[in-house]
Amino acid sequence: MKSRMQNSSLKQEFLKNWIKGLQLHANFNKNTTILERRKAIKLSADIAIASTRNSTTRWSRALIADASRDESNKTLIEKISGRDVPHKASFGLIRCSKKILKRSRVAREVRAKKAVSPSVVASLIAKKLVKSRTRVLKRLVPGGEDMDEISLIKETIDYIVSLRVQVDVMGRMAKAADRLIRSTSL
Amino acid sequence: MQPTSRELLEMNNLNPLVSLREIHNSQMSTSSHFDPTSSHDDFLDQMFSSVPSSASSFPWPEDHAPPPCHMEEQSTALLASKLRQQQISNGAAKALMLQQQLFLSRGLAVNGLRSPSAADIGFLNIPHADQDDVVDGSCYKSANPDQDASIKSLFNGFTGSIGHSSNQPQHLLHSQGGALQSHKFGGAAAPEMNQPAASGSSGGGTAGQPKQRVRARRGQATDPHSIAERLRRERIAERMKSLQELVPNANKTDKASMLDEIIDYVKFLQLQVKVLSMSRLGGAAAAANPLVADMSSEGGRIGNGTKTASSSNNNDGMTVTEHQVAKLMEEDMGSAMQYLQGKGLCLMPISLATAISTSTCHSRSHHPLASASNNNQLLNGEAACPTSPSVSALTVQSATIAANGGGETSLKDANSVSKP
Repeated sequence: MKSRMQNSSLKQEFLKNWIKGLQLHANFNKNTTILERRKAIKLSADIAIASTRNSTTRWSRALIADASRDESNKTLIEKISGRDVPHKASFGLIRCSKKILKRSRVAREVRAKKAVSPSVVASLIAKKLVKSRTRVLKRLVPGGEDMDEISLIKETIDYIVSLRVQVDVMGRMAKAADRLIRSTSL
Repeated sequence: MQPTSRELLEMNNLNPLVSLREIHNSQMSTSSHFDPTSSHDDFLDQMFSSVPSSASSFPWPEDHAPPPCHMEEQSTALLASKLRQQQISNGAAKALMLQQQLFLSRGLAVNGLRSPSAADIGFLNIPHADQDDVVDGSCYKSANPDQDASIKSLFNGFTGSIGHSSNQPQHLLHSQGGALQSHKFGGAAAPEMNQPAASGSSGGGTAGQPKQRVRARRGQATDPHSIAERLRRERIAERMKSLQELVPNANKTDKASMLDEIIDYVKFLQLQVKVLSMSRLGGAAAAANPLVADMSSEGGRIGNGTKTASSSNNNDGMTVTEHQVAKLMEEDMGSAMQYLQGKGLCLMPISLATAISTSTCHSRSHHPLASASNNNQLLNGEAACPTSPSVSALTVQSATIAANGGGETSLKDANSVSKP
């Protein structure tokens, strides 16, 4: 649904932010393992794509907050997004209690044997499936645990669009780097 | 009819009011029913000027306050959408009639006139039977007497304001058809306005598009809980629809399978980002240094790798393997290949892996893999399709391979075949 213009400007902004972040790591030498390199690159890319949203979406805020939990990333974040994000408190307790309530409700219904007919059983199973998958999705989308279903879907849409932009730009950059390396080595 | 149909098509993109005027004007000039006179335009000007503004400027007598503007918008939008459907399904003539009554019902919505006349009741009720395909029958059945009365008064107004001109008979004929349609659509508009009135407060809270409100079924409109539930479900449904366009392979109607596809897609994209960041981008400077296999440090590296791999605890069971392969690839492709084969895995180009996965796993064709691949990527695939529901894929940037020189170009092609 984003127009082409919006998409290309998104890509440009992501690229700009990403390069800003990568410049911080220009001191890669032979000793940095590929893992460390990968982590640094991925971190820069994630923060870059999250900051293209300017904290308008929950997943971007959650992403940046998670990254800023580690002290060593603070300079990176400040460089890319241009602002310092405070540490976000975790809502682990609320999540825990919701899960307990959910499980007890399902168990109660099963024990009560209210629904014996197969159609109702099927619908119950379907509901359970949907609920479990929603839970998985909440885990995947950053910051998704505290969202209700409606905003979860909205955030997922935005997140998927941003991921696609990220993959596209990173892929092109990788191709270009590959060509560069090959041309210099020949 | 050619020019009119084209104009009608253009109308879809323009403001209905403005284009209606044009179409009316052109229709006046081309149609054989009507004589183009200035009185037509005056009348039209009257109508058009009154419709967008409030009822105060309207010359006809009115007893009721006009309904709020958003309802007018709704009915207009609904009629506009029905009009488009008509244009698609039927010819241009019916569409023109629809346009007329679109604009008539807008005038209705603004005025809410009420001055019944017995003669008009009979007049209007007669030919409705043969125009049933224009509007749903249910709309007609639930016609509101108020709206009927207002339509009749409109009709009166038609005759009243144009009564003096010699074109009155043609106007009557024209407005008969128009008013008939408007009657039907007024009937359509009435339930629209009634139920939105009932659920207006909750309807106003819709975050999405106010134009495309689904009509509440009769007998269910009054319960606030069910309305809220329905609204919530509608919101979720429309969001899922827009999500369907994003995710490939999204022809599933079932919510659970839709969610499944979404989850798989998000996981896939995240994996792609992870792998793409494993490229030589950061090491472009390091590429200048020769990458000679350093066997002495390899053992140390692997030991280090397992430690870090366990610390970065993902749900993905391939993480450890990934890391090992990445490290080995950095030094020597051969050792990486041997390591993989020791694990029972193989390295293959992404195109081949895609072909295998699509042929074996029909229900889970990973088209995103194919679309995302380019020639420079290798795919490390675990071809366990019958057992596991998904093919776990690892795309590794081939820039590591490129650094090893031209002798390894055969790696670009499939150089290892199958899982033992």
